[in-house]
Amino acid sequence: MNERMSSTAARPLAPAAALILFALLGVAALGAAAPDFEAILGSIDEMSNFDDTDFSATYTVVSEKPGEETSVFKARLFRRDREEKFLMLFLEPETQKGQGYLQLEDNLWFYDPESRKFSHSSFKENLQDSETKSSDFRRSSLMRDYAVEGYAEETLGRYPVYVIDLKALHGEVPYPRLKLWVRQDNNLALKIESYSLSDRLMRTGYYPNYIQVEGRLIPSRMLFVDELRVGEKSQVTIRDASVASLPDSVFTKAYLERVNR
Amino acid sequence: MNSPRIAFRNLTRQKKRSFLLGGAIAFGILIITLVNSFTAGVVDNVQENFSHFLAGHIFLSGFEKTPSGRLLNVIRDDRELIEAIRRVEQERLRYIARRSSLNGVLIFEGANARQQIVGVDWEEERYLRERLVLRAGTIEAALAEPRSLILNEKVARRLDVAIGETLLVQMQTVTGQQNVGEFVLAATSVDTGIFSTVSAYGHRAHVNTLINIAPQEYVTLGVFLEDMGRMEVDAQRLYEALQTRVPLFPRAAGPQAMRGLMRRMAEEQWEGARYQLSTISDFLQPLNQIASTLNTVGLVVVLLLFVIIMVGITNTFRMIIYERTREIGTMRALGLQRGSVRGLFLLEALLLALGGTVVGLAGAAVAGLALSLIDFGMDNQFFVILREGRLTFKVLPAQLAGNVAVVAVLTLLAALVPAGRASKMDPAQALGKTY
Repeated sequence: MNERMSSTAARPLAPAAALILFALLGVAALGAAAPDFEAILGSIDEMSNFDDTDFSATYTVVSEKPGEETSVFKARLFRRDREEKFLMLFLEPETQKGQGYLQLEDNLWFYDPESRKFSHSSFKENLQDSETKSSDFRRSSLMRDYAVEGYAEETLGRYPVYVIDLKALHGEVPYPRLKLWVRQDNNLALKIESYSLSDRLMRTGYYPNYIQVEGRLIPSRMLFVDELRVGEKSQVTIRDASVASLPDSVFTKAYLERVNR
Repeated sequence: MNSPRIAFRNLTRQKKRSFLLGGAIAFGILIITLVNSFTAGVVDNVQENFSHFLAGHIFLSGFEKTPSGRLLNVIRDDRELIEAIRRVEQERLRYIARRSSLNGVLIFEGANARQQIVGVDWEEERYLRERLVLRAGTIEAALAEPRSLILNEKVARRLDVAIGETLLVQMQTVTGQQNVGEFVLAATSVDTGIFSTVSAYGHRAHVNTLINIAPQEYVTLGVFLEDMGRMEVDAQRLYEALQTRVPLFPRAAGPQAMRGLMRRMAEEQWEGARYQLSTISDFLQPLNQIASTLNTVGLVVVLLLFVIIMVGITNTFRMIIYERTREIGTMRALGLQRGSVRGLFLLEALLLALGGTVVGLAGAAVAGLALSLIDFGMDNQFFVILREGRLTFKVLPAQLAGNVAVVAVLTLLAALVPAGRASKMDPAQALGKTY
């Protein structure tokens, strides 16, 4: 009686056990195939951060707006990430020449040579009416600010990529949600979509070209498309990139005042 | 001796001369009174218009600091604030307004415009409903649609958006995150200069969602008083009452003090909420400086005018004394003392000044009344300095008394030397003079 009971009880358990086994195997298989997001985000952060060297480059930003003439601004950028210092000096157009942004720790200052005054600014403001923000030229901290919500695999152009969905861990990053297209072979970000708090796509950034500077890959061309204002976009080209040491005096208010004399 | 009567009779003996001198004094008084009352009216109107625009005379703002040092401008719990306001203001309170606001970019089919949008509780702000002059659409439509927007007609034209159409708005949340939302255009308001182009109105609950704060939270608490004249006294009383209830920042009047306070807020780190109390006057400190400058310029012009008038008075009185030498001699021979002779001429001058002042004030009243009858309308660039589309003139009694005193003193000073010379005349010599 007991045997019969145990055998009847065992019969329905067999398919369940098989299902559990399959499920466990599936999870294990998925787990094995899941990309190492920490490494990917870490690699992207590392590419844009210059903790062990200084960095300088000339950025040219060409902006297009429907019904308006194409505008161009050129700026020289200096960074010392280990000390959280950043200076951007505008070279063109003539009307903005000499203006600059200086970051000293958490403060971002804007210098206007006309008034010879510094005023507080924000990394979230657009630069010179373009689609770029000063945060686009600073160190990235995806690892610290975002958590991976999900991912997919697809092909972008001829590259197999991971499409990684990131959600902000706190309310102090400009975009609460990001979607990254990252090359599977070398962790280079090719495309980034930025979403608003209401989950509307606001901006798409394309990173088609990278150059190597002292063994480090940095994007040499970027395209930012405003997804809200149709037809508005900015293309950024980077020239004269260098990781050579910069004098301490560059990262001072006096420097911005001096270059304008 | 009936000096005032004699002085008055002397003045009427030479009507044309007295009329010209008195007229000059009247003109000076008219100018300074008009300038003073115009600037006082402008200051009042600007304050009044701003108080309606900002929905309050006294304002309370809440500030918090995030762990990373970011300053958040939000009032999350207003129980202590409301309790203090109710206790201090009581019957002097007309209404309170809890408002949120966002500064964003309105986007509609390729066109965009930067715009401040004020989130109001339409039930709480019945005054706003009454004051808003709409060009198209209705308040009822705005009340019915949770995402409704009342936009200035000029901005609506620039965006080419019609009633019932949906606009996008791009803005930042209180913590600085990017956000995008929608508004439905429910009505357009008549363009009234600077106010309309900087403010559009929506439901507070919707604005709160967009700037990512809870429905019961808001950004500014406005206290609208029955009498704006008591604003500073009431603000000080409220500040003292709040000090015992919530952590408060020191008051900051004027742009420089405000900048200093903002710097302090940026540098200091604290936990919980801290509050700031301000008044319309604090925001409009530069306006008071402009009014004061206008008054000073007016006073300088009038003083220059009076220097010329004083020369005229001095010369006229010298002539009068010359003409009345025999009369002075007769009065002195009949026993009139030197002081009385001097007093008689000074009284003449004083009567002249008072007569001119009365006429000048009457002229200023007529001119002010005539100017205040002109209806400039609600849709002009000077709306901010007008009340209901009209100029107003406000006479400040102390200022008026000061002006009258200055005119009287200057006239007496002008007449003092000739009057002194008349009093020193030798009666025998004076009686012997023939002209």
